[in-house]
Amino acid sequence: MTIRDEVRSAVRALSAPSPAEAEGSGKRAGTGGTTSDLTIDETLLLHSAGWEPVDLVYGISWWSIPWGAWQWTTGEVQEASGAFAGAIAQAERQLRESCERAGASGVLGVEVGIRVSSHHVSIELTGTAVRRVEADAHRFEFVSDLSARDFALLTRAGWWPLGIAAGASFVVAPRRSAREWASQQGQNVELPNLTQALYLARERAMERMQRSGSAMKAEGIVAVKLREGRASSSVRVIQFVAIGTGVHLRTGEHRSVSPEMVVPLDDLVRGFDVKSLRSAGGE
Amino acid sequence: MPSTAGDELPEAAARRLRPGAWSSGLSVADFASCLDMGMDPVGYVQGYAVLQWSWFMGTGGMGMGMGGLGGGWAGTPQRRGQYVEQWQCPHGFVSAEHRMYGANYELTWIEESWATGWGLATGRMLDEAKALGASGIVGVVDEMRPLFGGTVEFRASGTAVAVPDAPRPANPFSTYLCGQRLGKLIEAGFAPVSVVATLSAVRMLGSCVTHYQLAGTNVGTWYGPAAGGVSGVGPVDQVNRAEAAARSLARERVRGQLGADILHGATLESSEREIGEGDLSIQCTLKGTRVRRFKDFDPLPDALPVVRLT
Repeated sequence: MTIRDEVRSAVRALSAPSPAEAEGSGKRAGTGGTTSDLTIDETLLLHSAGWEPVDLVYGISWWSIPWGAWQWTTGEVQEASGAFAGAIAQAERQLRESCERAGASGVLGVEVGIRVSSHHVSIELTGTAVRRVEADAHRFEFVSDLSARDFALLTRAGWWPLGIAAGASFVVAPRRSAREWASQQGQNVELPNLTQALYLARERAMERMQRSGSAMKAEGIVAVKLREGRASSSVRVIQFVAIGTGVHLRTGEHRSVSPEMVVPLDDLVRGFDVKSLRSAGGE
Repeated sequence: MPSTAGDELPEAAARRLRPGAWSSGLSVADFASCLDMGMDPVGYVQGYAVLQWSWFMGTGGMGMGMGGLGGGWAGTPQRRGQYVEQWQCPHGFVSAEHRMYGANYELTWIEESWATGWGLATGRMLDEAKALGASGIVGVVDEMRPLFGGTVEFRASGTAVAVPDAPRPANPFSTYLCGQRLGKLIEAGFAPVSVVATLSAVRMLGSCVTHYQLAGTNVGTWYGPAAGGVSGVGPVDQVNRAEAAARSLARERVRGQLGADILHGATLESSEREIGEGDLSIQCTLKGTRVRRFKDFDPLPDALPVVRLT
């Protein structure tokens, strides 16, 4: 069947009553079908691996940071780091609960939104709950920010996602002494107070991410994304956030996927019959 | 100007849509792809609607002190099934600067205004496609943007296509997809039915505890657990409930439009606007293409991993 035949079949199907109308069910609002933010490529790839999308799910959490946490201090701002940890744990828990309510086994392609302000941290997680096509019962297995393509590749290699591993640290860099400030004027030199603050934030954030991976019994964390630099709330506050997916080896040993090498020979310019344009608007 | 879908087109539009050179909003690659699929472009169709718009209408009950719910605030939700939750001050009366109540409630007037504007724009776009004898509209682009003070413009546009040798549906299909992505969707056994979109809006009038949390002043026993509040670092429950409600409303409303069909390629976007100290207006839009399975699914074989040598 050519693509033209497929298109004609699709349009013909739209001329017929929809399945719900045909059944005369007058399907009630809120009991409708699947929602998914996956692309068609991802949907097809998931199907080829034996999975299907079920529902769009989300988790969102705001945690407060008390006044004064950022002031009159140097070193890590424990309140901000704690608020981040609490918010992401709560958002992930909501995601998991939504997944279970939808009768799915996992959540894929989770987009992570992070906002840090003086008085609160907010975390937003949005993804698509998926389940096995053939299975009758579905128990919760994972939350992951991997794409469907990465998920298919990972599972084929014998690994399995478990959950989102994350860590964050917010550090206030100490001020330079007057002597340091004066001696550094007019020179391009390293500012050790800021470098050290960045290193401290980095060590804490990475350690927390690895600890959260260990807590979910992950053997490793893949696709780690880093967000580091100046926090918006102050010029001397350095933030470091690390997020990835905790994975473990399910098959006992890693399976090589042995990719084949290809040289694409397709031309970027596709040809078409100009005369076919005449059939559209009539003569 | 047509007021709803199905009305007659304006004379100028009818003149423009008469047979002649057609127009298209497709890129050359998508254009070539559509021709390959047997979809002939017949016109670049559009629909517009300009609405008077104010985000701050009906904001009664935003004062401090003992007013609000007990005082009969103008924003009190009236409709059955409308989302609403209330919070009470755990402290007892403190001062006129201390809000004794808190509420999350759905802003149905914003939702209805948005649905009206979006429905008019997409309906008018569909009217043009019908007038052209199209089977559907591909590559739909829609947006809402401020026009000038107190007004917003809803616009929807796409390329109407005809499918020769196939019966024309009573209502042309519409989809955000075009080109190869649309081809793959159809090859996978899904027929595009229509673009679907909704906006949900929730207003959060922060209670005293929420105010303290958002201002970072929830420290000490007076504001903390002993008084029913949350001291220091902790979840801002009222905001979390409002954010979750906005997303849930959007998802359920879209589900209600799907029947037994599927929402493909959904995009969920949300935003917050601070409308006063510790008060938020939260909007959430959910869009996608409603698709219907028209043939049995034929799973692909396992994908072959490759390394491109380019």
